[in-house]
Parts: sequence; structure tokens; C-alpha cells
Amino acid sequence: MSLVSGPGRGGQKTNALPDELALAIDQHVKYIQQLDTRKDELQYWMTEHLRLNGVYWGLTALHLMGHPNALPHDQTVQFVLECQNPDGGFGAAPGHDSHMLYTLSAVQILATINALEELEKSKHGGGDKVAAFVASLQDRETGTFAGDEWGEQDTRFLFCALLALAILDKTDLVDVNKAVAYVKACENFDGSYGRIPGAESHSGQVYTCVGALSITKRLDLANLDRLGAWLSERQLPNGGLNGRPEKLEDVCYSWWVLSSLAMIDKVHWIDKTKLTNFILRCQVTMHESRSRTTLISIDRIPSKVAFLTGLAIWLMYSTLFSVLQA
Amino acid sequence: MCDNVWYSTVFLGARRVSNAQQMQGKENFATSESTKVWWQIYRKVYVSGSIAKWNLIVAKVDEKDFSPALLEKTSTLLRKNPEYYTIWNVRRRIFNNEFNNINRQADQGQLSEDNKYSQVLDIINLDLQFIFPLLLQYPKCYWIWNHRVWLLQQASKYLLADRARSLWEDELKLVSKMLGRDSRNFHGWGYRRIVVENLEDRALNGKSMARDEYDYTTKMIGQNLSNFSAWHNRSRLILCILDEERASTQERQEMLDEEIKFIHKALFDPYDQSLWFYHQHLLSTFDPDIAGASMMPDLSNESRLTYVKAEQEFIEDLIEDVEDSKWVYQALIECALIEAKLVNGLSEKMRTNIKVWLDKLKQLDPLRRGRWIDTEQRLLKDMP
Repeated sequence: MSLVSGPGRGGQKTNALPDELALAIDQHVKYIQQLDTRKDELQYWMTEHLRLNGVYWGLTALHLMGHPNALPHDQTVQFVLECQNPDGGFGAAPGHDSHMLYTLSAVQILATINALEELEKSKHGGGDKVAAFVASLQDRETGTFAGDEWGEQDTRFLFCALLALAILDKTDLVDVNKAVAYVKACENFDGSYGRIPGAESHSGQVYTCVGALSITKRLDLANLDRLGAWLSERQLPNGGLNGRPEKLEDVCYSWWVLSSLAMIDKVHWIDKTKLTNFILRCQVTMHESRSRTTLISIDRIPSKVAFLTGLAIWLMYSTLFSVLQA
Repeated sequence: MCDNVWYSTVFLGARRVSNAQQMQGKENFATSESTKVWWQIYRKVYVSGSIAKWNLIVAKVDEKDFSPALLEKTSTLLRKNPEYYTIWNVRRRIFNNEFNNINRQADQGQLSEDNKYSQVLDIINLDLQFIFPLLLQYPKCYWIWNHRVWLLQQASKYLLADRARSLWEDELKLVSKMLGRDSRNFHGWGYRRIVVENLEDRALNGKSMARDEYDYTTKMIGQNLSNFSAWHNRSRLILCILDEERASTQERQEMLDEEIKFIHKALFDPYDQSLWFYHQHLLSTFDPDIAGASMMPDLSNESRLTYVKAEQEFIEDLIEDVEDSKWVYQALIECALIEAKLVNGLSEKMRTNIKVWLDKLKQLDPLRRGRWIDTEQRLLKDMP
């Protein structure tokens, strides 16, 4: 099975339902557990820039599948701490530069396994240092956040910052009102949100903006009907969800769209059964892909956005979990 | 270090490797068992080579050894995997170091102003050339787009305005080409807005390009009606144009009428949601609750009602040919709800109509059945 998933990869080619649609939990648990043993594979190294995200995805999927202890606790903590840099932030893997995306994953992983206090043992500083790194990336004029010292701004980073600070209980370090106003400025006529003011709506950005409003308890600022309508129109006849109007479905959007709908209490605006079946059909494709030669998967890596290991499974389980809970 | 010849060597070398890689890609490795074995060996060497290179780069940057060889190593790694964001950072550190050197030498009188500008320009140009094929190959990679923006920003920072401007102008041509290849590329549209914003900057002797960009959306929509990215941009540009040109009420109304005419023409395909989202956006102009942010904020309620009625008629005409498009019923409900706000309530006839349309939607659009039921219930509760 390919280590890589992501937009353009998670769909399925056929509409035919397999005989049995069920969660292949044992296989998925095993798959995640052995991800770190595949160091002789090119893809392992080609996806190093996503390693810490990958641990978060795999870990969360394991928790959702009822196997919270499937990854070794101490090694997980140790690996996370190895990714920290002197500035307090975390990189994708040891030796990689600090970035908001990985800093959030680090905080999430430690919170998930009840190990946030381990941060205090880090040679680069504890929770306060991490929070200070996150807060330092806020643009105090506009309220949004940069991803790192190079200054790219995006509502993804704004969300990551607020979430990391909320977990660390340090939102008072940033100007929350300005951040919220910035999210509002990213709202488009369709009720959805983009990366920066003026940018086109995209369901991934909707997730981050609605998430930011949800964390700050300011969902009253959203145009819930219009937003819910736009999100519900992401569902296509085969049950899958797309990221923007007139685009193809992909399993990754199942998560961005569905979790956004859940935050505004409108999951019932789409067909849950059809979505569940779509996701489970993707799972079958994932298993079938085991029979593909490794060569083909390697050959394809550079042609797509490389999402690491476990993302597909994380997306699948998070989404299914939300569907079943709703 | 300031001699930019080494950059050329690095980049030209890079291009040759790139060609070789393309040739390789055309061969089918999976044809026989023996090639598979060779491939496995190659892979192992390749993997260990990449790791070694990575470690070396990290070490060299720690030592601040920003040599030409280090730049070449970043090129090799980035061509293999442009998602290595840290390597892009290393590359920028190398260039920053080089820009500082050049500026210091100019300040100390060791380098003429002309030479200073030409050396900076060479570095930027060569790197723009280096990432161009990567951009074509990985058009969805955030880090490549980021690096490109950074290079152009350095041009604005270090070069004379005219020279920097012409680089940004080339970018506009480039992004037009890319959007020609994939008219919905999310990054492409985002990059286009950045390029335009910079070209509009007074520091680069710019002026508003909202009209030109508006015309560009017309062109893109003409090529593909369902280009929602273009419709989205259009909605923003119209507000810009009207504000910048301090449009009178009459001019605003002319623009509104043009847009309505334009969308009516496009709606000969009444199944395309891009068009209906834009139609809904235009209808917002008549909704007293949100019209304030529209292109025509001070239309009288009487005029709004006239417009809404005209839209209702247009849609009802459409229905005769496309009874199975759910969008027409959604639009009719939207019109009815706006009308209710304008006349302070729904007539019994309208209420009956909405119920019929909602039933139609439940039947035509079962995926969103929950939404239609919610709408129905709210209607009964809010407007008894």
C-alpha cells in the first residue's frame, strides 16, 4: 500500500459496492504500527517533511479505532521532543525548521497521550516557550498568523495557532479579537472562507475558519445558512464530498466539510449513509492498492501533493467517527 | 562570492540533470523482473544519498557556510522533493547572505551601483528559472509558490522600481499561462491576486488593475462557464471598480444590469452550481439585510422588488425547459424570501408555492433532504 495519500489519490474508480462494507480495524492498526519500520523505503524519506503530522494522524486514528496504546508512549514523547528547536517551535522531523503546522501537531500529540507536562523536560523550553513561539507569529496589525519566520500568512496558521494556544491554555498571549475579525474579513459572498481576504472559498479553509470561530466561541459571526448551504452542496451523487464547486470528490474533503458541518450543527444537511459508503469504498481501494507494485507508487509521488502515511486512515476514521456520532 | 558565474554553473548543471530525469521518466521501469531488482538497488542508493545530503546541508547551514556547493545540493534535493520546506529556507538563507554581501560591497565602494543591481537581478532571475519547471511539475505545492513570491519581493526590495516591475509583469504572463493549463488552480488564482496587488503598488509605479482583471474574468468565464474561481474574483473586482471610480448611483445600476444580463446569458446551462452561486450573490443586492455590502447599497425597496420580480419571471421561464434542475427551485425560494422581507410578510399564495418548491427539492435533491426539511420548518415557525 502506498504511503502517500491526499487530494487526487483518495477517490475510488468504481461505484460498485463490495460485498461487505466494514471497517478493517485490525489491518489499519497494524498498518499504522509498522509505518515507522519502513525506513528502507524511499517514500519514508520523501515524506519526512510531514512526519510529525503523520504521527498525529496515525495516533488519532488509533484512538478512534479503540487502540489508544498501539504506539509506544515513551518513544512517541521522545520523538516529539526531538523535533523541537531552540526557538520553542517544532519542525516536521528532527533537524527541520520550526513551523506552525508541526508545532500544533506536537502539542496535539502530547495532549492526546496526556504528556503535555513532558514539555517541561525539553531542553528547548516548556509549554510557555512553545506558546510564545506561536504567539510571536501573529501579525499584530491584521490579527492573522504567519506559518514561520518567512511570513506566509494563511487562515490555516491562524487556526493552528488558536488551537495550540487553547490546548496550552495560553490564548491570552494573542489578540483574539483581531484574529476573529480577520476570519470575518475572509468570508466570501457564498458564506464560506478563503486563505486571506479576497481569496476563493475552499472547504479546507472553511474548516480552519469555522474552527477558529468555534474555538473563540464566535460562530455567531458566520452566516450559518449560507455557509451550511455551500458546504452541503459539496456532496456529489456518489456520496463523496468535493472541496470547491464543480470539482471532483476526494476522501480528504469528507473530513474538512463534514467537521465544518458538525461545528455548525448541520451534518443532517447531507446524506450520511451515502458518505459512509463512499468512505468505506475508498478503504477497499486502499487495500486493493496493496497489490500495486511499489514501483508505481514511487513513480507517482512527485505528481501530487504528498500527504504522509496515515492521513488517509486518519481522515477516514475521523470522518466516519463524526458521521456515526452525529 | 559575489561573482555570479558560479550561480550560472550551478543552474545550468541543474538543467542538464533535469532533462536527464525527464528522459528517465519516459521509460517503463516495471517491464521486467531484472529492472525491478535494479530499481530496488537504485532506490536504496538514492535514499541513503538523500539522507546524507540532507545531513550535510543542515551541518553547513549551522556553520553558516553558504557556498555555491551548498546551493547546488539544495537544488538536487528540491528537484527530488519540493516539499522539503526546510531546504527552501536554506536556499533563502544562502541568498540573503549573498544579497547582504553585495550590498556591503556596494556600500564600501568595491562595487558600482550598476553592478550591484545586475548581480542581484542575476541571482533572482536564475532562481526564477530554476523553479519554473518545478512549478509546472508540482502546481499544487505551497512551498514553491511561496519561494517564488519571496524572490519577487526581494526584487522589489533591492532593485530599481522599473526593473522590479518588469519581473512582476513577467509573472502575470506566467500565471495567465498556468491558468490557461488549469483554469481552476487554487494556487494560480491566489498567486495572480498577489502579482496584481504588487503591480498596483505605487512603489512600483503601479495603478489599479481592477478593470483589466475584471475583463480577464470575463474572458475566463467565456472559455468555461463553470469557472467558479473566475466568478468569485469577479464579485470582488466589481466592488473594487465601483469604489475606485467613485461610481455614481446610475453607474452602479448600469453595472448591476450588465451583470444580470451576463448571468442570464450564462444560465443557458441551468445545472451548473457556479452560475447559481453567482446568481444568488446578485440577488443579495436586493436583500435589505445584506444589501449594504453589495454593489448597489442604496437601492430603494421599491426598485429592489421590481428586480426580484423580474428574476422570478426569468426563472419561471427557465423552468419550462429544465424542470429537473434543482437550482431553479432554490432560486425561486431565495427570491420569495427576499420578497417577503421587502413587503413584510409572505402571501398565502407565496407560502403555498414555497411548499411546492420544497417538495420538488426533496424529490430532485434527496442528498440534502435534511436541509429542505429545516427550511420548511423554519418557514412555518418564523412566518406563520
